[in-house]
Amino acid sequence: MTVALPQPDAAPVPMREPSPALAFDDFAARYPFARSPAVGPVGFTMRAGERVLLLGPSGSGKSTLLLALTGLVPQAVPAETTGAVRLFGASVAGCRPSDWAGRVGQFFQDADQTLCGMRVEDEIAFALENLAWLEPQIHAAVKRALAAVGLPETIRRRRTATLSGGEKQLVALAATIAVEPVLLVADEPTASLSPRAAHRFRALLANWSAERAALVVDHRLDGLVDVVERVVVLGDDGLVLADGPPHVVFRRHHATLDARGIWTPLAADLDRELAAVGLAADTMPLTVAAALDELDALDLRGRDRARARRALASFVARHAPSSAHAAGDAPPVVRLEAAACAPFLGPTVVSDIELQIRAGEVVGILGANGAGKSTLGFALAGLLRLKAGRRVGAMGAVSFQNPEAQFSAGSVAAEIEAALASAGDAEARASRTARILRDWDLERLAARHPFELSQGEKRRLALACLAADERARLVVLDEPLAGLDRRGAAMVEAAVAGYVRAGRAVAIVTHDMDFALRLCPRCLVLGQGRVLADGSSATLMRDRPLLQRAGLEPPQIAPALDWLERHA
Amino acid sequence: MLSWLHPLPKLVVALAFLLASILVFDLVFQIALSLGIVLVLIVFERVPAWKVLLLCVPFALFGFGFLTTSLLFRQEAGAALDNTGQSLWHALPFSAGLTLFFRAIAGGLVSMAFALTTDPGQLVRALMACRVLPPRFAYALFSALELVPDLAGAANEIRLARAMRTGRPPRRVPGPVEIGALVVPLLAFAVRRAGRAAIAMEARGLAAGGARTIINLPRLSWRDGAFVGMAGLVLAMLVAGARMGWSLPSIAGAA
Repeated sequence: MTVALPQPDAAPVPMREPSPALAFDDFAARYPFARSPAVGPVGFTMRAGERVLLLGPSGSGKSTLLLALTGLVPQAVPAETTGAVRLFGASVAGCRPSDWAGRVGQFFQDADQTLCGMRVEDEIAFALENLAWLEPQIHAAVKRALAAVGLPETIRRRRTATLSGGEKQLVALAATIAVEPVLLVADEPTASLSPRAAHRFRALLANWSAERAALVVDHRLDGLVDVVERVVVLGDDGLVLADGPPHVVFRRHHATLDARGIWTPLAADLDRELAAVGLAADTMPLTVAAALDELDALDLRGRDRARARRALASFVARHAPSSAHAAGDAPPVVRLEAAACAPFLGPTVVSDIELQIRAGEVVGILGANGAGKSTLGFALAGLLRLKAGRRVGAMGAVSFQNPEAQFSAGSVAAEIEAALASAGDAEARASRTARILRDWDLERLAARHPFELSQGEKRRLALACLAADERARLVVLDEPLAGLDRRGAAMVEAAVAGYVRAGRAVAIVTHDMDFALRLCPRCLVLGQGRVLADGSSATLMRDRPLLQRAGLEPPQIAPALDWLERHA
Repeated sequence: MLSWLHPLPKLVVALAFLLASILVFDLVFQIALSLGIVLVLIVFERVPAWKVLLLCVPFALFGFGFLTTSLLFRQEAGAALDNTGQSLWHALPFSAGLTLFFRAIAGGLVSMAFALTTDPGQLVRALMACRVLPPRFAYALFSALELVPDLAGAANEIRLARAMRTGRPPRRVPGPVEIGALVVPLLAFAVRRAGRAAIAMEARGLAAGGARTIINLPRLSWRDGAFVGMAGLVLAMLVAGARMGWSLPSIAGAA
């Protein structure tokens, strides 16, 4: 039913926008009490119909830039700004952020910032109600949006607060695209999505209408770089470092991006390996599969083929090392017997779990959104009481999916010191704090309040606190890569290696199949309310029927593994 | 049963019962009102008895304050009752305190019955449709209502983080010290959450003025009329009973 408020005659009709759709003219923003600008001065434009990927290290100001796009910075989030932002030819400064809701769909990095805490159906319909669409059109748009992101109709009546992190992200995405925006702005849209859901987002972007533009910030690049036309890279200082088509940026600036800790797609690494043996394609392929297709098209023989195999072997060795470092007969750290787990105040999501993790073992926990991965992680750590069964082992430590839940001190340094509380005298604590700040690249942020940090920096701080507490024999990392740049990911890998050396067990809850393949010799695949498989990652991740059943996708590096097998 | 009803007639009835529980200073009235609501919640709404009892705890604690005050200042309370003409229970010890105790319970139960059987989204929609609340205020109220259950989740996360830090599993039920220590972090969570909701709503086009569609509006039906009629009748009978002194004046006189 539609209330008797004035209604438009019909739903808004998308208009053909004059270019540029978006322009940042030497825009810079500085938050109150900050010494340096959060971003800028930045100058770049986006044409109508263009799909742009914005990259940069954590803390380079990407999210600030996106907030400034409709004037949320500085109108809703106080900041001192210089320069100008123009949308569809109009200055953003002269409009309210809400004025752009019909043409700009904004997906924020934190799904809770996109969602208003309603039921799923109401969340998706909210912007459409504000735009005074007719009720039947709103219902149709909600249905379309749910289908587009792959959410079932049964989820309509659930409150968003009861959803898993990944499900929330899908609802936020559905709410963003439901308005059929002329400009889609998405900040880390795939950070908590399962591989299949992330694939669906990329398909959505690939089929994005030619009149509509999209500006996406994401760290999971594989599968995304081939659906964007342009990549803009921000440096540490918030200035534009590179700008161009993806195959040009990733080939020409590969070394610079690596040095600055900015993610590059796997295909760029493969391109470099192939270039080193003189077999790189003229134009850099944007996926591993495309690169291998080009290689096969060359019909290499003899020495050339050996060179290609060498390049591929080196590539695979770096990104999917052999899983020989399983723990063998090390003592068990934790054991679950006939366990059933349920999230806080929720129903049982995983049951009949028989599981043992040994000292020095790294286990990946994989599954679709809402499969119960985080719940199992908390149960393994002993922080969540089991609904049934038994847990044997000392309490573990968890890095929460929402890092803010772990913060309680007034500064980054104090947070780490609090985590070290039992570690010797004051001098020893200060020295260890300094070392951890350095290890996690948090030195320049030591005096900042944890809640002032960017999402990637918050994640690093939460992981640093976990590393500071050396008591737990089991460490559970819940989506440790979400929001992290390449440098941050390298820190996580180094920390995991350190845990293994110290004989601690590690469980990693992740959607990044390549990361799991690289770090976890053993994986658990969750689905259908139970553990579908428990075994070697190298085997499970190439078991396509199993991955299909669990709603997962093979890792991006899988075509390279297949190629090496074919050409052994 | 109550969950099927339109939120606005239900709100009107709840406010009428609440007002009556404040104005009618009669122990039997308060007990009858409380028992009636408990009965409706458990029998018709299928709310588990333990949940009703648990939710009554804060109101009972509040009422207990009145009871102890009345016990400590019995003479003053008796004088106050004389002045208001409520002499029925004057002869019984703690009579004023008991009435006040059950008034707190009855008031709490009325609110609880409304909250447990009303979808906040439907209430906000109905208020907006009747132009009682402009959308901005309505959604602010809605966010505040939705925040309450989320606080439990936030409190749980904070408890888990603390348990991890101390190296001891969290207790099944937090003690008073732990609850006290949660107040400030939860307040900070509420403030952050409110700020984020405001940004989300602004970014999604919620603004003052202008046309706006409201979907899934609750509809008024014959059930609402029947409910208001029955509730009004019950309330009138209870008030009349209290005014006529039930059947107890002879007992009071004998005492």
